[in-house]
Amino acid sequence: MDQINVLIVEDIPAQSKKLTKVLEENGYNVVAVATTFKEALALFYGAIKIDIAIIDIFLNGAPDGIAFAETINTVPNATRPFVFLTSSTDRQIFQRAKLTQPFSYLMKPFNELEILYAIEMAVEKFYAQQNVFLSKKEDTVITGDHLFIKKGKSLKKVQLLDIVYIEVEEKYCNIITEKEKFVIMISLTKISKLLNPNVFTKTHRNYIVNSKKIEEIVPADNLIMLSSNHHVPLSEKYKNMIKKLHTLR
Amino acid sequence: MRVRYNIISICCFLLCPIVLFSQQNVEQDATQEIFKNETKKLNYLPEFYKIQSFFFEKQWDSTLVYTMKQLRMPSDDVTLMNYYHFFRAGSFKNKEVFDEAENEFSKITPDFKFYNLVKMMLGEVAFSQQKFQKAIDYFKIVESLQNDELIGLKKNNIEENIATCYMHLKQLDKAEVYFLKSIAFLEVQKDTLELVSSYGNIASFYYNQYKDNQAITFFKKAYQLSKLISDFEPKQDAAFNMAIVEKNRKDFQKSISYLEEHIRWKDSLNNQNSIWAAAEKEKEYAVREEQIKVSLLEAENKAKDAERNLYLYLAIILVLIVAALAYFYKEKIKSNKIITAQKESLDELNAMKDKLFSVVSHDLRSSVYALKTSNTELSENLEAKNLNALDDLLNTNSAIVNGAYNLLDNLLHWALLQTEQSYFEMENMHLFFIVEQTAYNYKPLLNDKKIQFENNVSEDELIVADQESLKIVLRNLLDNAIKFSNPNGKITIYTKNTTENYCDLVIEDTGLGMSEATRLQLLEDSVALAKKENKHIIGTGLGMQLCKSMIQKNKGIFAIESELGKGTKMIVSLRKNLPNGSN
Repeated sequence: MDQINVLIVEDIPAQSKKLTKVLEENGYNVVAVATTFKEALALFYGAIKIDIAIIDIFLNGAPDGIAFAETINTVPNATRPFVFLTSSTDRQIFQRAKLTQPFSYLMKPFNELEILYAIEMAVEKFYAQQNVFLSKKEDTVITGDHLFIKKGKSLKKVQLLDIVYIEVEEKYCNIITEKEKFVIMISLTKISKLLNPNVFTKTHRNYIVNSKKIEEIVPADNLIMLSSNHHVPLSEKYKNMIKKLHTLR
Repeated sequence: MRVRYNIISICCFLLCPIVLFSQQNVEQDATQEIFKNETKKLNYLPEFYKIQSFFFEKQWDSTLVYTMKQLRMPSDDVTLMNYYHFFRAGSFKNKEVFDEAENEFSKITPDFKFYNLVKMMLGEVAFSQQKFQKAIDYFKIVESLQNDELIGLKKNNIEENIATCYMHLKQLDKAEVYFLKSIAFLEVQKDTLELVSSYGNIASFYYNQYKDNQAITFFKKAYQLSKLISDFEPKQDAAFNMAIVEKNRKDFQKSISYLEEHIRWKDSLNNQNSIWAAAEKEKEYAVREEQIKVSLLEAENKAKDAERNLYLYLAIILVLIVAALAYFYKEKIKSNKIITAQKESLDELNAMKDKLFSVVSHDLRSSVYALKTSNTELSENLEAKNLNALDDLLNTNSAIVNGAYNLLDNLLHWALLQTEQSYFEMENMHLFFIVEQTAYNYKPLLNDKKIQFENNVSEDELIVADQESLKIVLRNLLDNAIKFSNPNGKITIYTKNTTENYCDLVIEDTGLGMSEATRLQLLEDSVALAKKENKHIIGTGLGMQLCKSMIQKNKGIFAIESELGKGTKMIVSLRKNLPNGSN
């Protein structure tokens, strides 16, 4: 599991310092603090991939924060979830900010709970999977290339390509990567709907396999051998997946 | 020679009237009367009516054109055809195209009602063509008729025509016979006027044959008779003839006296003519006068009409103006009422604002003053290195600053609420997390007062509200609950689902509670500030007011349950979903 990379766009050092402290205490990785629109853009498209941006609406008195959000929204695949910070309740500013959908905001002054809540809300809204982190039933949001998992008060991420296989148990899923193994809460229907079917294949009622991690298929024993010495069963019903694999390769 | 010439000229002068006279007979007098009455019977035919109108108005060309049209169409109605031929013939005759006239007359069938008239006309045509023997034949046919067949034609005229023809044929004996016949007829009829001209004619006739004695007898007879009639023309002619006769007899005295008489009659005639002309002029003038009067009256009428219309328009305009004025007056009264109401509410708000201003500034001053004294104490203790006291003092300072901050925060939101400047968006949200986040800020205060706090709201509880305003409400209610709780007390937040659409959020404390009067006062919609019940802990009341307004704006309901000394329940009912069609 990796930390979430956060970009803070905030021109007041005291504010950004406090925010950085809170986020780092809760297991987030604050990549950088930008103080201007230009700096923010440079950092956002920089070497380290940003997972979420926290943006002050007003930078040096101008609503450059909104401009920044508008700019990153124009590049479809590069855009990321973001949270607006503001001390203003000005209706007009909000109307403009609201156009940068999905829209979530945080009113200053804020406490620890509020900032964590706002980040979770932003992720949920951005990936259109609401009532995940706040419900008791689920704790994972699936994006194009990551799982965002709530661990305690914090969010963590796992790269989808690192997953070897997923074992489904009722409401829980065991995620097995090369290095670790952990449990997430997500429904089977949702996980099968949101994972890329070309990569993740069902081999059994309870098993979903990353086809890139398959090393050997032993149809006689109904077994699939995976990297790092993992193996999963292959049931009759899902034997067709073998053909699909050939066509893929 | 000169004398002869004169008499011939008279003869010619006399002859022409005879012919003309008979012509006129057709168009006027008895014959014309009878003819017109007959034609009326056919006037129901539009074409016939038109043609006969042209004929009687002597529009010969039009008559010819229209009769031609009618005759071209074949018709069985012989009578109608005869009339058309008759009109045509008459028109030709009057235009002196005698061959055509004769031709047309000859086409008329003998059963035509006016066939005798046709004969008469044919005679006249022949006479005009100088075919005197032919004329005599025609005239004789007419002459031989009985009186009732003559259709108003006068026998003497016919006889005189015959006589004239014979005269032209130099058959003077026959001419004399017919002249005498005519005179005999007229003497029986006692037609004086005609007699004068007839005597004149026969006299001229004899005079031409140098039968002076007979001539003079008739001239004299004519002259005597002419004195009995009133017409000037025969008198004048008779006198002139006498004058010539006397002149030829070399009796110049008499001749001159006759001539004078002739001139007198002529003058009379002229006089009469001029009188007639004058009368005509006068009539014309009178007509013009009348016309002027009429046009004057017309103009007057027009002016009156215009005046009446003007009054009418004025009246309409006045009515409209009055209506408009009434309408605007009503509108004005209405707007005045609105303005008065607005003024009252503005006055009220202004008074409230003034009061708020004074209370808030008083509160703030107290806080700042407390901070000031506390700071002095702090520096004194720091100098004395009394470090144990510092912690307590800092805690007190922090509490004071917190209170002041809350007050200012409320004030800001109050102002924003009044001007409706703030962002407001109702969304679905998890009540549990909002309560958690709000309570988070009060953890130190709760710990400080050793108050036990429980958030028993279910994590699944979803409500609809604007996040920021809900937080302000919760902050104030929690702040109050802590403020009115005793140390070691307990504050619980939980929900009750009593109705379908609302979720009741209850903030329950075990604090001081309040009297019924205070409770009602708090719920009242007026702005009652600064209650003096608990001098040390009671604030401005602004927070409470803000809560009520915010809850209302979130379409929620606010209620208080309290018992003095036992504790208070602040109940905020929030909507579970948005009412249909509203925001």
